Amino acid sequence: MTAVEIPVEKWSGAVREVTLGSSYGGGTRTSTVTVGGETSLPFLGFEGALPHRPALAVEVVDMKPADWSPELVATWGDDLSDPANWAARAVEEGADLIALKLRSCHPDFGDRSATEARATVDRVLAAVGVPLIVYGPGTADKDNEVLVAVAEATKGEQLALGLCEEKNYRTIVAAALGNGHLVIAQTPIDVNLAKQLNILISDMRLPLERVLMDPNTGALGYGLEYTYSVMERLRLAALMGDAMTQQPMICTIGEESWRQKEGRAATDVPEAWGELAERGVAWEVTTAMTLLESGADILVLRHPGSVGVLREALDDLTKGA
Amino acid sequence: MSDAPATKARTAMASITFTPSGETIEVPLGTSLLDAVILCELDVPAPCAGQGRCGRCRVRVRAGDVERRSNAGLVSAEILDGWAVACQTYVTGSIEVEVPERRRETVRPHGHAIAEPESLPLTCDWRQDPAVRTFELDIEPPSLADNTSDFDRLRRALAQQHGIEEVRAELPMLRRLGKDLRMANWKVSVTLEMRDWVYDAYLPPRLIRIYPGAFRHASMGVAVDLGTTSVVAYLLDFATGRVVDSASAYNKQIACGDDVISRIIYAKRKRGLERLQHLAVETINDLLDELQKRNGIELYEIHEVTVAGNTTMTHLLLGLDPQYLRAEPYIPTISASPVLEAGELGLRANILAHVHVMPSVGSYVGGDITAGVISSGMFATDKLTLFIDIGTNGEMVLGTKDWLLSCACSAGPAFEGGGVGDGMRASPGAIEDVFIADDTLEPTFRTVDDAPAVGICGSGLIDLLGELFVTGLVDKSGHLDRSAPTDRVRVHDGVPEYVVCWAGEGGADHDIALTESDITGLIRAKAAIYAGFEVLCRSVGVDLADVEEILIGGAFGQYINIEKAIRIGLLPDQPVERFKFLGNTSAQGAYAALLCVNIRHDVLDVAAKMTYLELSADNSFMDEYTSALFLPHTDLSGFPSVLAALQKRGNGSDAPRATT
Repeated sequence: MTAVEIPVEKWSGAVREVTLGSSYGGGTRTSTVTVGGETSLPFLGFEGALPHRPALAVEVVDMKPADWSPELVATWGDDLSDPANWAARAVEEGADLIALKLRSCHPDFGDRSATEARATVDRVLAAVGVPLIVYGPGTADKDNEVLVAVAEATKGEQLALGLCEEKNYRTIVAAALGNGHLVIAQTPIDVNLAKQLNILISDMRLPLERVLMDPNTGALGYGLEYTYSVMERLRLAALMGDAMTQQPMICTIGEESWRQKEGRAATDVPEAWGELAERGVAWEVTTAMTLLESGADILVLRHPGSVGVLREALDDLTKGA
Repeated sequence: MSDAPATKARTAMASITFTPSGETIEVPLGTSLLDAVILCELDVPAPCAGQGRCGRCRVRVRAGDVERRSNAGLVSAEILDGWAVACQTYVTGSIEVEVPERRRETVRPHGHAIAEPESLPLTCDWRQDPAVRTFELDIEPPSLADNTSDFDRLRRALAQQHGIEEVRAELPMLRRLGKDLRMANWKVSVTLEMRDWVYDAYLPPRLIRIYPGAFRHASMGVAVDLGTTSVVAYLLDFATGRVVDSASAYNKQIACGDDVISRIIYAKRKRGLERLQHLAVETINDLLDELQKRNGIELYEIHEVTVAGNTTMTHLLLGLDPQYLRAEPYIPTISASPVLEAGELGLRANILAHVHVMPSVGSYVGGDITAGVISSGMFATDKLTLFIDIGTNGEMVLGTKDWLLSCACSAGPAFEGGGVGDGMRASPGAIEDVFIADDTLEPTFRTVDDAPAVGICGSGLIDLLGELFVTGLVDKSGHLDRSAPTDRVRVHDGVPEYVVCWAGEGGADHDIALTESDITGLIRAKAAIYAGFEVLCRSVGVDLADVEEILIGGAFGQYINIEKAIRIGLLPDQPVERFKFLGNTSAQGAYAALLCVNIRHDVLDVAAKMTYLELSADNSFMDEYTSALFLPHTDLSGFPSVLAALQKRGNGSDAPRATT
């Protein structure tokens, strides 16, 4: 019998290592999260180094979400009304970090001030020891106002601030630069656009060790293949040495999969669809697993059940690596 | 039946009286004012061909009511005053309409001297094998003893006196032959077209002219470059093979749309195609008149004409319906044109003069490019060569003498000054090159003919964007830095802009500025061109850096500053010595084909040999395009000199670090 030699791909490039959270220099975190550093495609430990396993973040909103799936509402219960409690419970459920959305600052959903936003961030920081991702309300003007205030108030915490887009990157990058934070650069599912935004951010002299990229995610059944392919191309480019694509990738999986019919509809669905509770988690987990295989480094999830399943899966996948 | 009552339903009509011309026309209700204006052949600009986008076809309704579907670009005071957008305004009853006098554009498209075609392809042997020749004949008069026909008598004399064994003549020539020979007392000069477009053994020389007495009249030819924007004609003396003079003018079709797509849309209108055909002919005829007057020749002494133009232009010149060029799968009616006579086309050359239209390759790679490949010598080179013609469309050809691959990308009118707020063509007063000081961020510029600045032309736009970029006023995605320490960067009507020339400084009544949306347009234009290069190269598996020679043709090309064009990523970052400006290659090719009969074989050969890559069917084009939508390009490693320039000036552009 001839021994079959498994071909081993050698790559010249590596994904940058990015660390969220800090426990010194103004930082108060009790744990930090480092992602990236890969020198091979996902989970191919025999080909290269995979120094950090992908991290699991849980999404927390600063106001009770009115439009969330009944399954999520039932699961989180009263915690949905208090971001600090919600975050603390998420950590108990296994979250490596918290993704806090300052939705109540949106002009259409409460228009809370930057000062109020700072107070919320402070409360969440006090409630948990894990690193924080902070998302603005999602309108350019208010994002700038709120995120700058938060960035200044939390100097040294090494938060990840989002979202940085091509149209409004300057203010957020400047805020991150001056206060020791990170940014999340989001572009609409395109390799070139992702790369361009990284270049623009880097031109402002923010070290790329402080940039995560969000290539924009679709859920299972809603463009997932396209996302997969774009992320795979980004990762291949990174491993082949393209310096401007070597950022770890963050995917907002919970938001995408729980807003689809499969994650929301409890009645009037074909019998084969099964119960919403099980189906919704399955949808989120399947989306997550797929994107892990295409190179996702941080998954932002909504359901605590998904956190458990994915942690187990990651244990399996990284065994011996 | 003549007194049958008019019971048939008839379309209700209304009359329109135009001022100041005084013309009155009856049109069916619901006719657009633009259509009515066209029917009366009045002069109203329609750069967008009546799509209601540009708002330039303004007329003033002085009496009567109309239906306005859009008032694009008009302010309410103007509307109250009767101003209306002609293509969006419809007749609902009898009206009186004022058509404003149009400020005429300067006749010359360029303030620069027109380059003469200098070199002919080396293979040209026009002296041995001239296209047109004139012979003196002393014909023996007929008698009762020698009753050979007049034409056979002429043939006999040609054979005996000049060894031309065979000759043919067409009916208009024969109709006057009997009288002409007798009036001249049998001593005549005859002008023969020695060869048809290509040599055809079955076709003997053709008699195109006969006049009494000895050789004394000139025998001229005209080579025309029929561009979408400008038209150039070269006058050639067949006796010397030299270009005697040249003339240029704007294409009169501009009134019917700025670019080929607008013209194709215009051709769909009632009598639209007819008008476009007429305007093309009229533009050329005006140039012929100008050349004739200036050189003391007669129009009937023009014995042959060649025309090079893009596929749309040649379709419009011939009156062929261009609609199928525009719709998928983009098919032209013809590639190679039949040989035409000037008379049937309406050109005021000798009515028997043949008009040869240079063959095209595809819907968007036309005879102008075929001509360029010929005149640039690309068809005979061993070097890997990229030939580009930048204009409204960027056409490009990659190859060597053994193979040729072409494609066309739509860059839009930005490089010709269109679609840019203060953009203009390269006429006097157009800012054509710009420098911005690093420290003060103040511009210095030069204008065409050093006239007071009134706008910015294509080369000026490239310069300006390059300067804004390298001084850090514009970032790599084309956004202006609003925090820059200069009052020249400002937000005007909600749009950020950079003011190049304040109202008081130049010849314009407003500040001349480049806005962020202008910049977006320019970046799109340059990205389309550069993506074309990449796709061409990749489709044959070569790298842009492997291209040994980059030939820049086209009327606009010669004014581009290569360094600045590289800076914005319009041209590949290659050593300057690899670039060669060739001037108006289209006109030069038309000239070579006019003079050299053997070159015509090459023209047809090139057109047949060239492969046409349809970019809309190419998946990689969009990807390359997005990649090029950045300054200078997303792949910075392709632009080392730009990177170096940015670092030298320290404008926030770290080179991507080398990876592990």
